[in-house]
Amino acid sequence: MSATALRRLIVLAFIVLWEVLPHTGLIPELFLPSLSSTLVAGWTDAAEYGHALMVTLYEVAVSMAFACGLGILAGAVVGSLPRPRILIMPMISSLYAVPLVILYPVFTVWLGIGSESKIAFASIYGFLPTMLSTAAGIQTIDPQLLLAARSMGATPGQCLRRVIIPAAIPTVLSGLRVGGALVIVGVVVSEMLISSAGIGYLISRYRTILDSPHVFAAVLLVLALTVAFNSALRWIERKASIWQTGLRGGQTEDRAVRPGVLQPAG
Amino acid sequence: MQPLANITPLKPAGAVEVRNVGQVFKTSTQDVTALDDVSLEVKPGRFVVLVGPSGCGKSTLLMMMAGLRQQTSGTVLINGAPITKPDPNRVGVVFQEASLFPWLTAEENVEFPLTLRGVAKAERRAKAQDALKLVGLDGFGKRHPHELSGGMKQRVSIARGLVQDPPVLLMDEPFAALDEQTRMTMGDELLRIWAATGKTVVFVTHSLTEAVYLADEVVVMSARPGRIVDRLTVSLPRPRTYDMLGGDVFGNLRDRIWRHIRKSA
Repeated sequence: MSATALRRLIVLAFIVLWEVLPHTGLIPELFLPSLSSTLVAGWTDAAEYGHALMVTLYEVAVSMAFACGLGILAGAVVGSLPRPRILIMPMISSLYAVPLVILYPVFTVWLGIGSESKIAFASIYGFLPTMLSTAAGIQTIDPQLLLAARSMGATPGQCLRRVIIPAAIPTVLSGLRVGGALVIVGVVVSEMLISSAGIGYLISRYRTILDSPHVFAAVLLVLALTVAFNSALRWIERKASIWQTGLRGGQTEDRAVRPGVLQPAG
Repeated sequence: MQPLANITPLKPAGAVEVRNVGQVFKTSTQDVTALDDVSLEVKPGRFVVLVGPSGCGKSTLLMMMAGLRQQTSGTVLINGAPITKPDPNRVGVVFQEASLFPWLTAEENVEFPLTLRGVAKAERRAKAQDALKLVGLDGFGKRHPHELSGGMKQRVSIARGLVQDPPVLLMDEPFAALDEQTRMTMGDELLRIWAATGKTVVFVTHSLTEAVYLADEVVVMSARPGRIVDRLTVSLPRPRTYDMLGGDVFGNLRDRIWRHIRKSA
């Protein structure tokens, strides 16, 4: 059996079990409502979920723009200039160990419980890995490539546009993968903690009143969101960097920049 | 070798002249002399190989000829004019690692120096095609570097060095990363390309066999400080063949170089 077929089978088995197990009574419906009752719950309150999704999407989009835009910019500066690197990198690295979620209550004090505090929190949350990845991507560019470009008469501007940027794309994209995923986590978690709208808020509210089908309907929505994000990113990767398969020695190390390694605590 | 419309050498081969070049690296504790009063003249169309122990400054000297590095004292002249910055019209460079851009195809890599100068696409493509044909890679233009073998990558790299038809081609240990068999083949290929284009070649290597096999003249350098200690003319006829490797002439030349290097290291 091919890996793809097996994967589909596993997903199918998971869906069937989700439907069957609660019905047989092996798992109480309070812990795990069946797939059908979850879908029904979502369908009956589709308007509410739709509104929540819009709020969350808006927050994710804005945070993503901040985290990725500023992350790439800061990473490019830190990666290419030694002085800021020496100054900033130790701070960033130690900041990474801090569970940033402790900052969220502070943000709600400053910015209120609306979208602004979520955006601020999620932006910072996703900013760090994007920045570190970009910095690593720029630093690990093979100096031979730059030397070769110079030998062919490339000006500094041409080096940047024709060598540094294309060479950094794969690492920057892997940074966006981690950063973007963390933005979604940041938005949903902050909505769950203190808020009045969004999918996270729905999860948290329905959990308080022990309405499991509605909780799981919201969970499914978050799942769909991350799956959509992942496929969008994979599409960009395919478009932007056909050359990833041809990574050279120095650049393979960047693959170490992976979700597992960079996940900050909390 | 049939003439190629766009790459047939229009410019005559170039002369390289190194006059009393010195290079001193300043460290916090002392000054290190990397090159000490090096003078060298390479006549147009000659194939000259620089050898010497690690740290003798042979690559540094080559980078100065390429205009990629500034000497502390002395001058480097290419075709009679000093070179102070990279000038792809006078000098083409081939590096140790093929240093091709992995996101570009073979032909885009070869076109790169022309792209930098803003040459029109059709002209670029035509010149790249001819350069690829010259190095025996006709039909491989659309491949990316990771789809090419080590030897093929170096061929692309040589094509890139030749695409602007520079009178001088500088090669910094171009075959060092290749396996023995590919290396031998590439040596023969390089000699064929050299014969077809008539360029002046300055070639740096660690391999004594490669040095004698390829060169008209071998320049032997010593380390700390980097100096030229000997110049040998290789009188073996061309085309060079594999049988020559076992002959007395070949063996004697290689021994002479080895004695210098052992003394110096």
